[in-house]
Amino acid sequence: MKRATIIKLKNVWKIYQMGDVEVKALRGLDLEVKDGEFVSVMGPSGSGKSTAVNMIGCLDIPTKGAIYLDGKNIAHLEESELAQIRGRRIGFIFQQFNLIPTLSAVENVTLPMMFQNKSTAEERRQRAEKLLTMVGLGDRLYHKPTELSGGQQQRVAIARSIANDPEVILADEPTGNLDSVTGKVVMDFLAELNEKEDKTIIMVTHDRYVAEHADRIEYLKDGVIVESKEKRKRMKRRFLNGRNHNLEVRKN
Amino acid sequence: MHRKMRSWLTVLSILIGVMAIYAIVSFGLGIQSYMDTIAEEAGTDKIYIQPRGTGAPGTDENFFISEDEANFVSKIKGIDKTLAWYLKAGLIKYKDQQKYYFLAGIDPETDQEFLDQVFTVTVDKGRHLKKGELDKVVLGYNYQVDDRVFEKGVQLGDKVEINDVKFTVVGFYEEIGNPSDDGNIYLTFDAFEMLYPETEGKYGALIMSTLPGENPSDIADKVEDKLRKYKGEDEGKETFFVQTFEDALETFGNVINVLNGILVLIALISLVVASVNIMNTMYTAVLERTKEIGVMKAIGAKNGDILFIFIFESGFLGAVGGAIGVLFGYLIASSGGKAAAAAGYSSLYPIFPWQLTAACIAFAFFVGAIAGVLPAMQAAKQKPVDALRYE
Repeated sequence: MKRATIIKLKNVWKIYQMGDVEVKALRGLDLEVKDGEFVSVMGPSGSGKSTAVNMIGCLDIPTKGAIYLDGKNIAHLEESELAQIRGRRIGFIFQQFNLIPTLSAVENVTLPMMFQNKSTAEERRQRAEKLLTMVGLGDRLYHKPTELSGGQQQRVAIARSIANDPEVILADEPTGNLDSVTGKVVMDFLAELNEKEDKTIIMVTHDRYVAEHADRIEYLKDGVIVESKEKRKRMKRRFLNGRNHNLEVRKN
Repeated sequence: MHRKMRSWLTVLSILIGVMAIYAIVSFGLGIQSYMDTIAEEAGTDKIYIQPRGTGAPGTDENFFISEDEANFVSKIKGIDKTLAWYLKAGLIKYKDQQKYYFLAGIDPETDQEFLDQVFTVTVDKGRHLKKGELDKVVLGYNYQVDDRVFEKGVQLGDKVEINDVKFTVVGFYEEIGNPSDDGNIYLTFDAFEMLYPETEGKYGALIMSTLPGENPSDIADKVEDKLRKYKGEDEGKETFFVQTFEDALETFGNVINVLNGILVLIALISLVVASVNIMNTMYTAVLERTKEIGVMKAIGAKNGDILFIFIFESGFLGAVGGAIGVLFGYLIASSGGKAAAAAGYSSLYPIFPWQLTAACIAFAFFVGAIAGVLPAMQAAKQKPVDALRYE
């Protein structure tokens, strides 16, 4: 099955001014990601991998070059349009989970939907509860982040990332703060989203084993891709204890 | 924990201002309603003539309204009834205690309804004075209460000495609500003239009612004009002044309003200080939550959303301060009202309409929201990538 390109970076440069020093984080990066693909981005610190992901996620704009999302160049859009794209089409998962500490799990998952302002409070709550149940937190719905373990927090973050049913999930070191067992649980959920929900996933990681979950691994160094490793076959993944997750959570 | 503490301190600062405003305005409204009641009871058809003196009425020998003048005025067209009364400070003695209070000499033959209207109260214990009674007295409300005028309240039938002459107490007036009026001593014309022979025919004040259909202030102007000519005085140098009851109330009301206004202004200044406090708290909050702002932007918050969140939060801080301020203001004002009543100032009472509560809380929210605008703008304009990276 031939897949369409969903993300394309063309000759993307990012140059920071740090005091008197010019830092070239990205130096003409080219990258193409197909719809439904799972791509890992690896590289030493300072290689520009986080910067690249931030660009794709519309959190930052490039100094030079073009970024296409579904064929539309988003490199030089206004902040309000970027916010729109972030909210609707991209889900973020961070190394430090980044949940809002004063809000419960359900409220954290509700938040992205609130910013879209397209559903009633009741609809939002129902969807949040459904998503949290899906990531195995049905009994933790109204706990605050501080009352949850790291793995649980990251699962709340996964639920939050798909609250608005985005096409693309950007994960920046999603297992970086987790031990290997909980890290595996989180990776399994991500893999599941990719396989069953057909989400495009771009993941930054240091961890070779974690990177192996992807269809393709891109190695970055000094702001350009130096190696690309495509996997012939997708690893078959079995879910923990054969749990049967219901992933039919797409809105309508 | 620090965050919570800081929020509460901020709430406290706005609370104080709102508390003061609520308490002050509730008393202001109380006075307004008291005056409305007085105006209703006395009727607005009344005109006062008082001698213009240097001292308080009754203490200045040189200023009075003569009997001739009273007769002249009472015959002016448009005037219905006229009440002349004597007024002088006198010494009252009861069971070895003595105090100075105002003696009022009234003519018992005056139409009782008119008299009640003028005084806004009537005798509710015992009876009114009768013409010619030389050894009877009616006292103001406070005399019957322990520890107001005398240690022991005076009873009906008791004897009091006024300027060393013995009188029997035959009645008490209802409460007017201030210690001066409620300490009045009421005598007949004859008794007053017996105590002060030299003041015969020299009245302390005239009170007149106007005929129905007449405009009291027009009549007051006419009375002033005619009496000036009668006395042969120059305009602006009269030894008397004429005022409608309405004007008198209005003058009093204006004084109260100005006083109230000044107090509210001071309270408003405290709210300005509180708003600076809120602004400071919000700036700190924005800084502390920079990363949170980054996260919210990452999950789709637009600048306007962030702006709204922080302004609303700031307003909410204000509203919480406002609500608690209203509560404390209510406690202070109601206990203040009780204290005033216990001290004989029952006319000084607060009222608490719900609109005042709503306005105070809404205003506090507004002050908070305004104070939050600049910090919220700072929050909104953060670059998402920088905010996310902030530790």
